[in-house]
Amino acid sequence: MPLPSLETPHAAATPAGAPLSDSPERRLENSFAAHFAQQQNSGLPDWWLEARQKAWERFAALPLPTRLDERWRFSKLSGLALEGYTLPKGAANTYPHVDYQCPTLPPFERAATLCFHGQTMVHGTELPAELSARGVIFAPLPIALAEHGDLLRNYFHKYPAELGSEKFTALNTALATTGAVLYVPAGVEIDQPLLVEHSVEGSHSAAFPHTLVILGERAKATLVEHFASTATATPAAGARTLDEVARGGTAGSEAAPPLRQFITAVSELHAAPSAQLTYIGVQDWSLGALALHSSSIAAQRDARVLSLNLHFGGAQVRHESHSRLLAPGAHSDICSLSIAHGTQEYDQRTLQTHAAPNTSSDLLYKNALLGHAHTIFSGLIVVDPDAQKTDAYQSNRNLILSPDATADSLPGLEIQANDVRCTHGATSYRIDPEQLYYLRSRGIPTAQANEMLIFGFFEEVMSRLSEPALHDALAAFIQSKFKEI
Amino acid sequence: MSSLEIRDLHIAIGDKPIVKGLSLTLRGGEVHAIMGPNGTGKSTLAKVIAGHPDYTVTQGDVILDGKSIRDMEPDERARAGIFLAFQYPSEIPGVSLANFLRAAVQARIPEGEELDAVAYYKRLYAKMDHLKIDRKFTSRAINEGFSGGEKKRVEILQMMMLEPDFVLMDETDSGLDIDALRIVADGINSMRGASFGALIITHYQRLLDYIVPDFVHVMYDGRIVKSGGKEIALELEAKGYDWVQNELAPAAS
Amino acid sequence: MTAELAHPAATAEAAPDLRADAQQANPIAGIDQSKGDFTYDVEYAYDAGVGLSEATVRYISQVKKEAPWLLDFRLKALKKFESMPLPTHWATKDLENIHFDKIRYYLSQGQQPKRTWDEVPDDIKETFERLGIPEQERKFLAGVEAQFDSEAAYSNIKSIVAKQGVIFVNSTEGLREHPELFRKFFGKVIPTGDNKFAALNSAVFSGGSFIYVPPGVKVAQPLQAYFRINAENFGQFERTLIIADEGAEVDYMEGCTAPKFSTSTLHSAVVELVALKGAKIRYITVQNWANNVFNLVTKRGLAHEEAEIKWIDCNIGSRLTMKYPGVILRGRKARGEVISIALANDGQHQDTGAKMIHAADETTSNIISKSISVGQGRATYRGLVQMGKGLKGCKNNTQCDALLINTNSRTDTYPAITVRGDKHATQHEASVSKVSEELIFYMQQRGLTEAQAMSLSVNGFINDLASQFPMEYSVELKRLIDLEMEGSVG
Repeated sequence: MPLPSLETPHAAATPAGAPLSDSPERRLENSFAAHFAQQQNSGLPDWWLEARQKAWERFAALPLPTRLDERWRFSKLSGLALEGYTLPKGAANTYPHVDYQCPTLPPFERAATLCFHGQTMVHGTELPAELSARGVIFAPLPIALAEHGDLLRNYFHKYPAELGSEKFTALNTALATTGAVLYVPAGVEIDQPLLVEHSVEGSHSAAFPHTLVILGERAKATLVEHFASTATATPAAGARTLDEVARGGTAGSEAAPPLRQFITAVSELHAAPSAQLTYIGVQDWSLGALALHSSSIAAQRDARVLSLNLHFGGAQVRHESHSRLLAPGAHSDICSLSIAHGTQEYDQRTLQTHAAPNTSSDLLYKNALLGHAHTIFSGLIVVDPDAQKTDAYQSNRNLILSPDATADSLPGLEIQANDVRCTHGATSYRIDPEQLYYLRSRGIPTAQANEMLIFGFFEEVMSRLSEPALHDALAAFIQSKFKEI
Repeated sequence: MSSLEIRDLHIAIGDKPIVKGLSLTLRGGEVHAIMGPNGTGKSTLAKVIAGHPDYTVTQGDVILDGKSIRDMEPDERARAGIFLAFQYPSEIPGVSLANFLRAAVQARIPEGEELDAVAYYKRLYAKMDHLKIDRKFTSRAINEGFSGGEKKRVEILQMMMLEPDFVLMDETDSGLDIDALRIVADGINSMRGASFGALIITHYQRLLDYIVPDFVHVMYDGRIVKSGGKEIALELEAKGYDWVQNELAPAAS
Repeated sequence: MTAELAHPAATAEAAPDLRADAQQANPIAGIDQSKGDFTYDVEYAYDAGVGLSEATVRYISQVKKEAPWLLDFRLKALKKFESMPLPTHWATKDLENIHFDKIRYYLSQGQQPKRTWDEVPDDIKETFERLGIPEQERKFLAGVEAQFDSEAAYSNIKSIVAKQGVIFVNSTEGLREHPELFRKFFGKVIPTGDNKFAALNSAVFSGGSFIYVPPGVKVAQPLQAYFRINAENFGQFERTLIIADEGAEVDYMEGCTAPKFSTSTLHSAVVELVALKGAKIRYITVQNWANNVFNLVTKRGLAHEEAEIKWIDCNIGSRLTMKYPGVILRGRKARGEVISIALANDGQHQDTGAKMIHAADETTSNIISKSISVGQGRATYRGLVQMGKGLKGCKNNTQCDALLINTNSRTDTYPAITVRGDKHATQHEASVSKVSEELIFYMQQRGLTEAQAMSLSVNGFINDLASQFPMEYSVELKRLIDLEMEGSVG
């Protein structure tokens, strides 16, 4: 199959009389048709294929965001052009497992790993037998769909994020072939984290990872997702050696111009009553990437969900996160830490919906800004009528380390119940000279004192992680990423 | 013998003069107290000796062991042996006390040499026990959520760990209850010796019951208006600060 | 009507029968028609008719005998107004319920509609009684009389300030007698196209104040629009321009705490303040609108070096108020402040806030907003803070507190803060609370009724801000809040 071009269907009206087959719309239509044809008869459930067909139509019908769309206020809309990217090659559920070491995150003990490279899964470790025996599923999306379609059907797109990227999440639904499904049955606790690695390779490639996590009642799990880019073009699947992978390196560190890539990623997290879910996303795409991440969290009675997203890569990255507190006792911690440098734009939109009484949520989004970076935080706490005794917090802190960086902050509240505790705060500031003086007055040199204060700024987010090994591995990773800049 | 000499020091913030010609020599082994009403420039003096960037030295100098420190950065001064115990220590989120102190100790050993971590923690815990600071404080962010008394005790802990030649204590007694005051004083007294000089800035005579000074200076409107032995502190306590304003200050100018 | 003035609505509606209008869903009448069934048996000297067109604008300009440049200004503004969409992509869709073609854009001076005192609804009379408003003023405020006995007080103030060289006139007079000064600053702080309603005001404005304070003059008494009510101040589209020259200081007060029964459903004012180097302007508003009024006001000040502009704004009533007083901090060390109190009762939406544009080094701004939502009322804070590139030492502090009285009262907070560069500090904090049950119980135990306890608590909530109002305003404000709180308990 030729690699089709991914173009916006609303690019330009086709001039009357021009051959339709040449229009960007038609090219795109054709390429989806070809992609879709491959999916037929691949063991995927009919409902899934129908959902993809509908999502494709929705993608084509929805307009690109405009200046009048408040949900895109302050965003660089010109960066959303979709021309020139390559659609994923269609391999549906045939995953050649090769001996491929996922290269980037510092090591931590994990229960199992799935590693996606390009559009295929290249590596995976089996779940411990004890967990499989208890009904835990940790599998690539198409395999999980083929084997457990009926189980998953009730969860897919049940609570879409819907914070402005509907067009792009529709595209993800239409084209997703990678990503993990984690299902943990009631009462099963998994102590060690599960890891999902995504790496997208080569220039002008596109990827559409989709993650679905379902925790049954009283289940407990931690999922870490790592998103990275690699430079080398994909050889034939399976032909890639460890050495080649190692030589490829990550996109951020090589001298060649950053890889232009396009990613829409979706993660859906479901926590049944009293479940405890920790989700960590580490975004380290190529500095040339346009990435739109969308995550949705649904917490039932007494469930506790912690989501932590770390952002280092990408040229323009938008992350939408919608937490729904659906029944009394549900709690959600929503955290993010970003280091934005160069000309990066990080655009983060959040929604905390308190749909039931006695629910709580706590959001902490921190950005460190260097160079000409631009960050946008737009968050909203919604307390539905009658969601009394809601306890919601929202905080955005921007540490601006450069005269040319810009931080936009739009912390919002919409409250329709009176017996609630809702506060939010937003601050943008530089390194506090008094704090710096205090450290220096103890003999710590300025550069080191500055770094301590910046790492301290990060640590406030990282300290939300209760697993010490994971905390230390990620804290070390953040510090090394910061020092790379 | 080490010495810290303040020579005709004039300090301003912006255009506003605060310290207006102050001279004082502190030698190793000596404890000096500076007393005076609020707003006379006591805290400014301490901060400036420690190199606070907000103030301008318009005239005079500070000499440490024969060398001017006027152009030294705050961290250079600290490594040269000056320690300021802050009146209002900064709260620093995300930086643990242990990591902070370790970086400060590390900054004092020659480059390339690694700190002996085991010895460091042993020493740290011993000092913490001495000051009755819970060992859990090592993993807490510096001063964040500490009570007033805890902050002051942690200042003394830092002083004991860094072993400075000269300490400037800025209202260390303010906000302390009597037990905390004893603990703090005990910490300071444990360091007294030929290689340790202290300048204790205080509003009240109370602290001086526990740390007996060799010299007492009364400061008013940016100048020292009277100097003498510890009896001055008692006289000041008895006569009150009106005495300074109405008798000492006119006499000195 | 003078012969040479063509009546713009003449062909469509020769003599608009307001009585007939009142039978229908009349957008013109400002109070609940079912209660009073008011009739307006008034001959209008100048009446621009119903609806908005170029002819309406020409008519207004002609009646006011304006200079050609001003007519030109108005016509351009009209085009702008017509070309701009309603800002419903961020604001409430309720704006779509404004029928611009059914609004009367100009009634000349002295032509406030008259009613008889007997026609004023009893509950309104009672409200006047309880607010302690003098008899004569009640009649004015109820629309019974077009003016009351404040002319003497107004003349008095005029003569006092005139001795200092202060100009304090209505905007028409200002344009006529001080055209150079007026034109120099007019429309400079709020350009015509700033928003659709500023454009509308620019096209059809009449009334409002023009104030100029010469260099170094500190006006001792606050200048009050209250004292010159007769001089068109209560127009629907008033335009106020205040200029404080270098080192000058002036306070201005508008509105009053009595319920204001507007004859229009749309009030769209524009207020521009200019504080030159080292000047201080304080602008105090207390407004209490009838609950069918769309109150869409643009207020902005320009603060030059070391100047200070402070908006103190209290909004009660109306169906929808959209008002975000702003300060452009143009000169070094300029200061801006907005202090705002809003009370939204059933069926009301107070969409208020502040804008602070930092455009020079070391500028500081402060925003304090407190809102109270009663019943199904909705109070919204909407803010904008910007710190431009290449600047240093800018500071903003914003504090929004919302008090929700009833179970399903609503509050929203939508700030937007942009900080460029690493030499600034901004802080925004917002909180939501209800009246503490413990506190109510405590007061009840001391013998207060629940309603009294609730009123006391609400007054306590705004007390620190209310104390910034001049004494008589703050006293009336408290009484007014007591009245608004009635019936909210139980």
